[in-house]
Amino acid sequence: MSDQEKKQQEHEKDLAEFECGEPGRDEEAHVQRQIEIAKGPMETLHLKPEIAHVHDGVTPQLKVGVYICRCGGNISDVVDVEKVAETARLIPGVCVAKVHTFVCSDPGQHLISDDILQENLDRVVVASCSPFLHEQTFRGAVSRGGMNPYLYEHVNIREQASWAHKHDPAGATTKAIRMVAAAVGKLRLAQPLDKIKLPNHRRALVIGGGIAGLKAAADLAGRGIKVLLVEIADQLGGHLNERGRIYPSEHDASEFVSALVTQVRASSNIEILLSSKVSAVSGFIGNFKIVIESLRSDGSTSKMDETVGAIIMATGYRPYIPQNGEFLYKAEPCVLTLPEFIQHMQSLSGDAKQLTYCGQAIRNIGFLHCVGSRQIDGIHQPSPNGALNTYCSRTCCTTILQQALAVRKRFPHTGVFDFNQDIRTYGRGEENYYTQASRQGVVFFRYNGDEPPRVEAATGSRGKDGVLRIIVKDALTWGEELEIGVDMLVLGTGMIPGQITGLIEAMKLAVGEDGFLQEVHPKLRPVELAVNGILVAGTAQAPMNVHETLAAAGAAAAKAAAMFATEEVELNPYVAEVDLSRCSGEARCVTQCDYEGALKMVQVEVDGVMVDRAEVNAGLCVGCGACVAVCPHRAIDLNGWRIDQFEAMIEGLAAEIPHPECSSELVSIQ
Amino acid sequence: MNMQIDSEYRPDAVVVGGGIAGLQSALDLADQGLKVLIVERQPSIGGHMIALSKVYPTLDCASCITTPKMSAAAHHENITILTNTEVKAIKSADGMHRVELLQKPTYVNFDKCIGCRQCEYACDSEYPDPFERGLGTVRAIAVPFTNAIPQKAILDAEHCGTCGTCARVCPTDAIEYDQQPRSLTIRTDAVIVASGFLLNDIHLKPQYNAHRNKNIIDSLTLERLLAPHGPYGRVLRPSDGKIPTSVAFVQCAGSRDESIGVPYCSRVCCMYAIKQAMLLSGSLPLADITIYYMDIRAFGKGYEQFYQNAKAMGINFARGKVARIEPVSSGDLSLHVESTEDALNPLQEHRHDLVVLAQGMIPGWNPTVDTPVTCASDGFVETPMLTAPTITNAPGIFVAGAAAGPKDIVDTIAEAGAAAMQVSQYLFQKRSPVLVG
Ligand SMILES: Cc1cc2nc3c(=O)[nH]c(=O)nc-3n(C[C@H](O)[C@H](O)[C@H](O)COP(=O)(O)OP(=O)(O)OC[C@H]3O[C@@H](n4cnc5c(N)ncnc54)[C@H](O)[C@@H]3O)c2cc1C
Ligand code: SF4
Ligand code: SF4
Repeated sequence: MSDQEKKQQEHEKDLAEFECGEPGRDEEAHVQRQIEIAKGPMETLHLKPEIAHVHDGVTPQLKVGVYICRCGGNISDVVDVEKVAETARLIPGVCVAKVHTFVCSDPGQHLISDDILQENLDRVVVASCSPFLHEQTFRGAVSRGGMNPYLYEHVNIREQASWAHKHDPAGATTKAIRMVAAAVGKLRLAQPLDKIKLPNHRRALVIGGGIAGLKAAADLAGRGIKVLLVEIADQLGGHLNERGRIYPSEHDASEFVSALVTQVRASSNIEILLSSKVSAVSGFIGNFKIVIESLRSDGSTSKMDETVGAIIMATGYRPYIPQNGEFLYKAEPCVLTLPEFIQHMQSLSGDAKQLTYCGQAIRNIGFLHCVGSRQIDGIHQPSPNGALNTYCSRTCCTTILQQALAVRKRFPHTGVFDFNQDIRTYGRGEENYYTQASRQGVVFFRYNGDEPPRVEAATGSRGKDGVLRIIVKDALTWGEELEIGVDMLVLGTGMIPGQITGLIEAMKLAVGEDGFLQEVHPKLRPVELAVNGILVAGTAQAPMNVHETLAAAGAAAAKAAAMFATEEVELNPYVAEVDLSRCSGEARCVTQCDYEGALKMVQVEVDGVMVDRAEVNAGLCVGCGACVAVCPHRAIDLNGWRIDQFEAMIEGLAAEIPHPECSSELVSIQ
Repeated sequence: MNMQIDSEYRPDAVVVGGGIAGLQSALDLADQGLKVLIVERQPSIGGHMIALSKVYPTLDCASCITTPKMSAAAHHENITILTNTEVKAIKSADGMHRVELLQKPTYVNFDKCIGCRQCEYACDSEYPDPFERGLGTVRAIAVPFTNAIPQKAILDAEHCGTCGTCARVCPTDAIEYDQQPRSLTIRTDAVIVASGFLLNDIHLKPQYNAHRNKNIIDSLTLERLLAPHGPYGRVLRPSDGKIPTSVAFVQCAGSRDESIGVPYCSRVCCMYAIKQAMLLSGSLPLADITIYYMDIRAFGKGYEQFYQNAKAMGINFARGKVARIEPVSSGDLSLHVESTEDALNPLQEHRHDLVVLAQGMIPGWNPTVDTPVTCASDGFVETPMLTAPTITNAPGIFVAGAAAGPKDIVDTIAEAGAAAMQVSQYLFQKRSPVLVG
């Protein structure tokens, strides 16, 4: 088969539609309609007429469209998608069932919106990947077809069927069919819902006044948006203040920071609170209520309440501090961390001819990469809190080479030895440090991650070449064990997550395995956190250099600016709703609810008497359903996820499924 | 989808390039209520990302995460998209840019084309499919690929046999053989250069002999071979369709080498090679996979862990320089490697039946010719402002993504957001200077 034929055949498969024969619609008119309305490449093929459609009689108006995605092959390599479609068509209420290679693609989406218009569909199911990726995509597609987007159900037959059961295609197919049946069951009882609209407070809270926070604040202010900037320290600028020069431009770091600080201070849109911390957060996108505690100059604290529409987490990182004794840190005075060494270099007078430390000349200096980063279980000692930093800190390689080169240039008599696993000078202008360092005589040794170099104090008063001996199995000389004497060792320490447990708990934020804040999706939504309206910028998310931090801050600001583009914020309508005719005022639900303000008892008049009844605050309700579980009268239920819908789903999952080949018989599939 | 513009059309910003950088910055501007025109020279938006197989480090299928962005841009009321259109020049004066475009003829009237593909099925003339990087074929008139946006047929004049069949079968009379290139000029306040990258030439290093053997492929070709809907639907080596049993990746094959004019690191090749190796070991469980490298640059969030997983999966990481590649019998290749790992045997020879060269990234467009934008010595757009890395030397012109240096998708998306934010500030301040405090 030629490629072209293959493509064509696949395309025709895409077109294969299983449609109920509708009375009173003759074939010719149908074909005519097809030509008139053909918008995409989709053409309708009719199913054999003998496979008649089974309506369940209860909801004769129900017309469900089911779309099954091959996901390029991610699904169809395991799940028999054609069979899912054929079987789905036999589920009561299902009117159309189609397969497409990428339902999320433009033609795929057109297929849905066109069918809604042409077939008068009133419910839609897409069986594809995770709802996390594409639920919004398909809600958009059904809206464009003029249907209420909440009459749409998403079924995940990729993660939950094809990927989970890739060695059991038949089982995966059955599971997919059952999941589709459950979704159809749920939809049968679905009602149209509208997004909840609430006023939007167009003001952003930026937590952290390092360069990420400064940049995000400056960007928003420059766009005319009010910003509240809260910094826990008594000055702005964060860690970068102490970092000497910024690679690759070799700009003075503190000058750079003060340029940003000046810009922020000059803006009338930005209110700055120093020595302050956010102590409580409640509310939701567009309407966060926050409490800020500030330390006054007399030592007392003041509290204030503020309302903001969006929050940008720019809380940064902490430098890794080696544990006592780790590579002789603290045991030998000449073992420094990278930030300590940078400070030391800064402190040396400009015309110094010799690198010295504590009055001693440094004849040879060593730089050891990956201290506190790229740690391996069983090789490295976890931190006292149990954390093993398996990640790369991204910035230490280039910083080390920048410093190594600076030593060679300023103090040509000092020998420089670099101990690394890989040199990661990946960024623009960074490789140059590596090339220059090699040219300037920096000597490189390479160790394997599971055999880090050992550091020992040299015997004798000052050793021949230095006060320390570094013993390394060097992969560049075929694994030979070498011993290098140095007078000073710089530990290339990296970044660890900031200490923000309080904020994480207050905002219910997700944290990754590495301890940094976890974004919603590293590719699709890298600056958004799982709580709507809360964004992340800079090293609070992961190690980054200056350039990357500024980019992330700008991206977070852009998301906040987009949130503020409308007068109102829109929230999903999946919130609890009280049936006043059933509520007896026992308030069991209120005691059960975990979300402050989401549910409370109010006085209402029933038959001329004032009684207590539960009331939901739609903005604060997260739709967890804890209340639903405890109400003995079934007086409270979740819109979009009602109990009867769950029951219908279970029925769908457990039902006997009509067999495609013999639609009159009901065959149960294992 | 907005694809039509009239002479009155005056977007707030023009985005050069419809790759992920261009799409994301357009979306971030459009969501703020600004009108954006995306200009893409290829037949579809999506850039390189839509042609990838899966993406590191999540191993999400690339189509699955690119299509939502493409589709969101295509459906956005504030975004207009022109494909098959190249930005030729930008003339800036008095804070206003005149962006000069050249629309290539598609020989299909997009207003009429319904994407039914009747012409494609009827066409007799085939040529190597550019989307599949020459593997597999495509008809002279065709919709570019399954999830292309827009879904419109395009006729490739070079390979058309001028038989007239397509015009006969088209149900909407969309074929126009007499289309001519069209120049048009758009006036706008701001421009974002998101023109991305190209892989450098696979023949750049003569010692790798890529011209002598089809089984030496570049990394984008392997992406297509690995894509679930790729040219063969599975991984076969190009010369004879054999299932590879021993695959080599040659890292830094077009980067970190002053002698070829690319002294910089291309930043993505270590990670995509690891990803490709993982995907290969999934689809060819019996194959030996070796990555020859100097440094593994797994620096991003979750990347080091990804690298360690690959090692644990049994992918062989061999530290050493590949000095030479020689074709040997039956389409196989012999790699001459200077190993740093084996003292007794530092000059090694290894035989593989498929070799992937990690070519480097070079700029996708040179804007210095007819625009006020300047480039740095590496050829990528220069960004002089330290506190705002998406601002170029030309006022009102901004840059995002690989156009400003090699970058992977995560970093591109962040930078695209930053560029959008810089543009929206620029426009806000330009239009309401009084409000700026
Ligand atoms: C083999 C390979 C595998 C990869 N795998 C991954 C991965 O797994 N994960 C990951 O994060 N990254 C990966 N990457 C990197 C990823 O491809 C890039 O980060 C991303 O595509 C950059 O996006 P961009 O929009 O900047 O550039 P591009 O994708 O190149 O888009 C630029 C667009 O601009 C258009 N254009 C250029 N000039 C003009 C002009 N003058 N007028 C009009 N249009 C113009 C081009 O046609 C193109 O469509 C991989 C790269 C390669 C080479
Ligand atoms: S950047 Fe370099 S030194 Fe730092 S953790 Fe990564 S590999 Fe190690
Ligand atoms: S990313 Fe890796 S393979 Fe690519 S140029 Fe840099 S070091 Fe070489």
